[in-house]
Order: sequence, then structure tokens, then C-alpha cells
Amino acid sequence: MSKPEGEEQKGAWSSRSIGSGWQHRIFYLLIRLGGRRAAYLLLYFVVLYYVLLRPDQRRKSEYYLRRRFPGDGPMGRLAKSYRMSLQLGKVLVDRAVVGILGPEEVTVDLGGQEELLSLLGEGKGLVLMTAHVGCWQVAMSALGFLSVPVSLLMQREEGDLDRHYFEHAGLDSPYRIIDPRGFLGGTMEMLGVLKKGEVLSVMGDRMLGDDHNGVAVTFLGSPILIPYSAFKLASATGAPIAVLLSWKSGPRSYRLKLFRVIRVAPDLGRRAEAFAPYAQEFSAVLEEFTRDHPFQFFNFYDMWQTSPPRAGAGSAPNTKGA
Amino acid sequence: MTIKEKLKKLLVEELNLEDMTPEEILDDAPLFGEGLGLDSLDAVELVVLVQKHFGVEIKDMDEGRPALQSVASLAAFIEEKLAK
Repeated sequence: MSKPEGEEQKGAWSSRSIGSGWQHRIFYLLIRLGGRRAAYLLLYFVVLYYVLLRPDQRRKSEYYLRRRFPGDGPMGRLAKSYRMSLQLGKVLVDRAVVGILGPEEVTVDLGGQEELLSLLGEGKGLVLMTAHVGCWQVAMSALGFLSVPVSLLMQREEGDLDRHYFEHAGLDSPYRIIDPRGFLGGTMEMLGVLKKGEVLSVMGDRMLGDDHNGVAVTFLGSPILIPYSAFKLASATGAPIAVLLSWKSGPRSYRLKLFRVIRVAPDLGRRAEAFAPYAQEFSAVLEEFTRDHPFQFFNFYDMWQTSPPRAGAGSAPNTKGA
Repeated sequence: MTIKEKLKKLLVEELNLEDMTPEEILDDAPLFGEGLGLDSLDAVELVVLVQKHFGVEIKDMDEGRPALQSVASLAAFIEEKLAK
């Protein structure tokens, strides 16, 4: 008997890190000995190996690339798969560099700081919606100016080898982590954060764990499912949603931009469809991002393989923050 | 109408519990999962409903976790808050 479609999709996706622990440690050693450039140098060859000789890994980038560059042939896709994988590798190296060598190794230019402060000043809490693009940890590390606690909805899987920048530095997490596998999927914790006027950060582009609260939106021409829990929380509390995305803008620099503020109407009820227009706004921002930064979109799975939405809801893969 | 009765009516009407009448909801039936089958986002809706209809705020998980077990526990929580 075949598995339900959503279950197959879950099975097809693993958030576990590529490479083993010792392979990661080689990169960390290179960073300590030779800095970022030494790690990048190895990275070029490692990515080449995965893209040329591991079709299973290459395929993970092609789901997106076929949608983003529909006119490409196999060679074009191969080249773009290399660029996309290389960008992800560089982001991961940069993250380790910040943790190992210090935050001064990377500069972060934040656009929209005043507006973010103004949104927070409304006193209803603030939902920071980001995505698996650029380096979301950069976004998180640049939020100190908000002067309120930041909580992050994040699920880490067994087998995750990548370390966060603060873990490299042996520091405590600068943000509180809410586990979606907790009581009621962490929704009560998230609600509590917003009611206290604090910041809740969520990744808006992937379903987490066993979350079945997805809504269909159009992304790059076809439907995908994205979670609508954050939109529901914003509706219940009146908190504005700030869509904040980052990208690598230079060898040592990142930019962080407030792309859009989404305000969700109150009293939208239970139906997923009620939240679809807001989720679509977010999807439009993601499309804008992929136009400008096509190789910094890091969803390496078939986002478009969705179960037919049942009344706007459905299943999606078991994922975490990259 | 008691708080429990009002809660049951709200659950059926506002959370669209299909094929269920307020009278059929047991006081101690779990609200989530196997019981009434509500999910995590229904919890958000329930918190909003309680505030709207009873003027009682469930501020965080410390309050929400014990209160959101069943109709009986939620009614007890509301009664306690209203008595203060």
C-alpha cells in the first residue's frame, strides 16, 4: 500500500546536515588556521563533488531551479545548481566564521530599523517573518537594537551537525527557542510572547514538524503550502508581521531588509482560506527575493509537491531552520 | 447559563465542532487531540473567545496549560479569574 502523499513528502525530505562530523570539523579547522578564504577554497571543490557526482544532492536544488529558470537546459541547470549550492556553503562558512573568529568578520547593513522600532512601539508584539534565504541567523544577530526579548520558533533534528554562530563561540543563545513539538505546537508560548509585547521570529516558508496548518499559495507559478499559524497569531493579537530577509551582499557583508509589513485583520475565524491573502503577500515577497537573489534561496526540496489542499489545509515536509 | 454551558455552546458554534451538540460534550473530555479533536491553532481561537466572551485573559503557557485541558478546567480557570 502506498503512503499518503504528505507522508511520502515527509520521507523524501531530511533536514540532517550533509557530510559527517569530521568533515564539518575540517572546515572549522581551516577557518581557525587560514580564515574564511581557506574554507572557501575547500568549499569550491566540495560543492563541485556534490553537484557533479551526487545526483541525489543535485536534484534537491533542481526542484527550485526548474521553476525559477524554466528555459534552462541540463547544462544551465547544472551550472546554476553549483552556484546555488556554493552560496549555501558560503553562508554556512560565514556563520562559522562569525562564531569562531568573531562578529567583526562580517558586516550587516540593516534597512528598516526605524520602522521596526515603530512597529514594536505599537505595543502588540511583533512577528518577524523570515525564510530560508540568505542567512537568517544574521537577521537574528542584528536585532539587539530592539531591546526586547526575541523568541524563535525552531525545530532541531537529531543528526544536525551545523552549529549556530553562538555555539561556535560557546555563548548562550541570544534568543529563546520555542520548539514546535511542545505543548500545542508551541502556540501558547508564541501567543504569550506577543501578548507581552515581545518579538516572535518565525520562518514563513516551511511547515515544521507535524504542523498540518498549511495554506496553499502560488509561488513561482504553482501552488505550495506554507504555514499560516503566524498569520493566525497576528490576527488574534493585532501584532504586525514584518517580513525581514537577508542576503549575502559581498565577501564579508550581508544586507537585511524589511521587505513588507503585513497586517492581518482580526476575527478571521478558523478557516485556512481566510489567511490565504496574507500568506500570498508573503509568497510575493519570496518571489521578489528570488528575482533579485536567485541563488540565495535555500529550500532544497520539492516545495511544489503538495497534497491537494483540503479546505485550504494540508501536509508538508518535516523541516527545520537551515 | 453556567460558564461550562456557555463554553460548550461557544465551542460548538465558534469552533465549528461538527456533528456535536453542547450537551454531548463531557466536562472532563480533553479539548485537544483524542477528545474534542481541537488542534493547536484552535487553542489560539479559544484564548481569543475566552477573552471576548468572559473578559478573561490567558496570558501565557503557565496559565494556559492547566486551563486548556478540558471544559471543566477552563471553566474553573474563568471562575477563579472572575472572582478576583
